[in-house]
Amino acid sequence: MQLVKQKNKTVAGAIAAAALSLLGNSAKADGEFWDFSRDWKFNSGILYYGEQDRVSALEGVFSATHEKDLDDKFNFKIVIDSLTGASPSGAVVQPGVQTFTRPSGKGQYTVNAEEIPLDDTFRDTRVQVNSQWTSPIWDESIVSYGVHLSKEYDYLSTAVNGNIAWNFNQKNTTFSLGLSLAKDSFDPEGGVPIPFSSMVIDMGQFANPTEFETAFDLTRGTTSEDKETLDILMGITQIINRKTVMQFNYSYSDVSGYLNDPFKVVSRVDQDGIALEHLYESRPDKRVKQSFYWQAKHYLTGSVADISYRYMTDDWEIDSHTIDYKHYLTLDNNQYLEPQIRWYQQSAAEFYQPYLLEQSIIPENISADTRLGEFSALTIGLKYGWRTDSGNDMAIRLSYYEQSMKDSLSSHPGVLNDLQIYPDLKAFFIQYTYDF
Amino acid sequence: MVKIDKTEFGFIGYFNAMASPCECLIETENYQTALAITQIAADEAWRIEKKYSRYLKNNVCAQINQSNGAAIAIDQETFKLLDFANTCYEISNGLFDLTSGVLRRVWHFNQNTELPSQKSVEELLPLIGWNLVSFDQKSVCLAPGTEIDFGGIGKEYAVDVAVQKIKEYKPDLSVVVNFGGDLRVTKKPKNKPKWNIGIDSLLISKIEHSVSIGVGAVCTSGDTEKFILSNERRYSHILNPKTGWPAEGCPKTVTIIADQCLQAGVLATLGMLMGAEAEAFLTQQNVQFHCQR
Repeated sequence: MQLVKQKNKTVAGAIAAAALSLLGNSAKADGEFWDFSRDWKFNSGILYYGEQDRVSALEGVFSATHEKDLDDKFNFKIVIDSLTGASPSGAVVQPGVQTFTRPSGKGQYTVNAEEIPLDDTFRDTRVQVNSQWTSPIWDESIVSYGVHLSKEYDYLSTAVNGNIAWNFNQKNTTFSLGLSLAKDSFDPEGGVPIPFSSMVIDMGQFANPTEFETAFDLTRGTTSEDKETLDILMGITQIINRKTVMQFNYSYSDVSGYLNDPFKVVSRVDQDGIALEHLYESRPDKRVKQSFYWQAKHYLTGSVADISYRYMTDDWEIDSHTIDYKHYLTLDNNQYLEPQIRWYQQSAAEFYQPYLLEQSIIPENISADTRLGEFSALTIGLKYGWRTDSGNDMAIRLSYYEQSMKDSLSSHPGVLNDLQIYPDLKAFFIQYTYDF
Repeated sequence: MVKIDKTEFGFIGYFNAMASPCECLIETENYQTALAITQIAADEAWRIEKKYSRYLKNNVCAQINQSNGAAIAIDQETFKLLDFANTCYEISNGLFDLTSGVLRRVWHFNQNTELPSQKSVEELLPLIGWNLVSFDQKSVCLAPGTEIDFGGIGKEYAVDVAVQKIKEYKPDLSVVVNFGGDLRVTKKPKNKPKWNIGIDSLLISKIEHSVSIGVGAVCTSGDTEKFILSNERRYSHILNPKTGWPAEGCPKTVTIIADQCLQAGVLATLGMLMGAEAEAFLTQQNVQFHCQR
């Protein structure tokens, strides 16, 4: 059917004129339709991490999220890490120069006198891809599931996860339950060292390379190993009042399989503190961890205070506490500043020892990996974020991390009393992110 | 009763009016301002509802519809609304007609209802027609049996007057006034290029597309839920006043972006009545639209 078209005017124009006469003037509309389902949002970031004199890492992240609707989305993320540098091998410091064999058996490295031995053979590049699907189910619930894959030159990790969240009380309370299963396999160059075997070091005692290789191979067992991890997470998020929200989580983790760090050794020292040999470490083949986490966010005028506490305990006798405080300050023009301070403390694993005394019986498990020792750490950081003219978010974050180990032994044998046995760690992060 | 919640962009004020959930999205740091603005919007919505709702007795709408041929005195606001409806009737060649409300006596859009009989629809047609309405600045007179249903423009008009009042109160603030999915923005927001309806506000979930709007109005006609399904044909609740039936092949919903809510609303209704030709008509009209099929 034909609508009457006034001369040179459309129906729409005439209606606009009529509306003008009823309501008066108005601004010209400025808007557009957009298809939620065709919309991709992207997050990208680059992180530089540097430890004083040791490891540095560069990490790039790219994440794409496709939202069909609120709570109905698909996310794909790729992370590339590149690590270089050296990390403590577990061997103890000595008054003289030391030589060690590389984990692959190909080549050696030396460590200066009075320096904590660092192994600079390092896993170099790792690529991770993650896919996660989220969608609403039933009436007030959201389900999410995903897969993860990461690959380094000698390491492969695969995982699946699933999670359901239920909303109650007009969305004031959310209860969530999650499960994840991972399988990691490790295929090191040179094979997996036999725990407690002694590191074979060529100091000229082998007539030819083949003899060295034969001796080296005796310290090698399987060519690859793997481990499996089960994680269960339960959480409750509760809106306390208009300005406060809290969360409480409990998680249970069970990992079994090959849990050693094949690159780490423990030095066996005599009563003068001189190293006689370096033994490849041994850890239990199972670890059960539980953690309790609490977080509260409180909204003030123009800022948000965010505090959290975590207590973790496991059957290796490691207990840890983490307290983390962040304060998000809104500034003008979509800028913000977020200072952060975090304090962490952990107790040592039952089998952690910085070295093994010659006369001691060899325990069932032993590791000198400082990450299993007793230490405390402090992080301070500052993040600054802003919005570009095109409405995209950028941020830059600077953090400084300092870790100090606690010496729980009252004295050390011989020369070790005068040397620094425990490495301190100082590191900084700088991270830039761009969401578009 | 209005309720205010803090959000990352400012505040959202909620209330119910005209049988719809209503909200104001307000870009301000000041709670008191947000409360005042929401109250302004709510008061305008309730005022218009009280005056023009066909569900109330003794209001302006009831007086007009029960006049039985007698002339009823009207105020300036009612006159201007009738004048607007009149212009729309003429430009649309009778498609836009506020007297079509009587058709609801035979058309019921609940789950599983049946179509009315052709006879029952035809019986009502003589009562429909804007030509049966005569009015001037002071009074309106309807033929006996004819009724005026302000439902076709009430909500959109309420959005526009609420926006006017809010602009008088706080001319610098960006506020989205959203009455059940028909909305208008007072002014371009400061903290972002546009409001994202579908993210900042979920009330417009009637349509699958979302809208980003800096300033202007968005209005949707039709419904993904209110329709009759009979013999696999879908019958929308937007009825053609000349035939008493919905247009054939009409979209599920038609959404329009325009300067003011009232004009967006009329265009959305006309779009629906164009049935299968909705997109062609709206393209020709050079308006921003989206049809959901």
